Amino acid sequence: MRIIRIIAQIAILYIFYYLGVFFVEITKLPLPASIVGLILLAICLQMKWVKVEYIREGAGFLIAFMTLFFIPPIVGIIDYPELLSIEGIILMATIFISTVITILFTSKLSEKIEQKELKLKEKREGGNEVVKSNHLHH
Amino acid sequence: MLKAIIFIISTVVLFLLFNQLHKKYPYPFLLPILTTTIVIIAALLLLNIPFSDYMEGGKYIQHLLGPAVVGLAYPLYNQKQLIMKFKYTILSGIFIAMFSGLISVYIILKLFKLDDSYILTALPKSLTTPIAMQVSETIGGIPPLTAVFVMIAGFTGALFGSVIYKVGKVHSPISRGISMGSASHGVGITKLKEYGEEDLSIGSLSMGLSAVIGAILCPIFVFIFF
Repeated sequence: MRIIRIIAQIAILYIFYYLGVFFVEITKLPLPASIVGLILLAICLQMKWVKVEYIREGAGFLIAFMTLFFIPPIVGIIDYPELLSIEGIILMATIFISTVITILFTSKLSEKIEQKELKLKEKREGGNEVVKSNHLHH
Repeated sequence: MLKAIIFIISTVVLFLLFNQLHKKYPYPFLLPILTTTIVIIAALLLLNIPFSDYMEGGKYIQHLLGPAVVGLAYPLYNQKQLIMKFKYTILSGIFIAMFSGLISVYIILKLFKLDDSYILTALPKSLTTPIAMQVSETIGGIPPLTAVFVMIAGFTGALFGSVIYKVGKVHSPISRGISMGSASHGVGITKLKEYGEEDLSIGSLSMGLSAVIGAILCPIFVFIFF
């Protein structure tokens, strides 16, 4: 029974995937069809047009095995020996440097933004309490 | 046809075995994505099987990637309370990460005068592998090379993240989660476990959210600069 449910739910996910394919085809936007499908599904879940129960097990199953699905395309590096050239080394070093910069820069800046957001919240919550206590006094 | 079935079965069996191994010994270098891929590549080279032959079976496995990525809407939907709780910090953090990643890759590779197709291949490197490969395809990069760069970005975060946070004096779990999730995806956030649950949950939601945002920003960036 569970396996039939999972298959049916994967079919629903396929419908969203092909809606994404269709969208990309008519708009010619340079977006991956699966991302368009993901956004459509997220909207439908949020608007309650699709119940979470209709996709939960299917999505959970596919996500658990996600790595398996992209192993075949990765094996394709077999056809790109240039990874072991000077250019390949420059590329890999660049990825390393860019990732270090991104982590450092993002964490420092978001720490600043977080403190601002917390202050904003405190102010708001503080404001609410004043309103509440006023209410009580009346 | 028989060949295709053999390739499918052996890929699935290898993956399941290495997945079990990684569950037992959860080191990043035992990730099934690395071990399974390396063993399959070694086998193809040894047996002199061209990649196109392997893909006769492989394409059926790859086909499930589309609906699997669609399914990522479910964990994101589940985490919406947490997203709303820190919405400004998370969203601005992800945008900062996307832009600093894209711009730094672009500038460095332009300085070295590398071919545009290599730059396009490197741009999606901070997104989670399935989405990075699909973005790479839509913007004209080389998807399997992108996957290698994604792994390097992941390992950079996993191996050097704690040093970066120490040098940068970063103490907030939210900031660690956002920066790791949006720069080093699933491989990087495994290391966040050592800091705590909050780091990890913010990390995994930043990974998902930044993948969606990055999939939209990358093509826009390419449209402007190429």
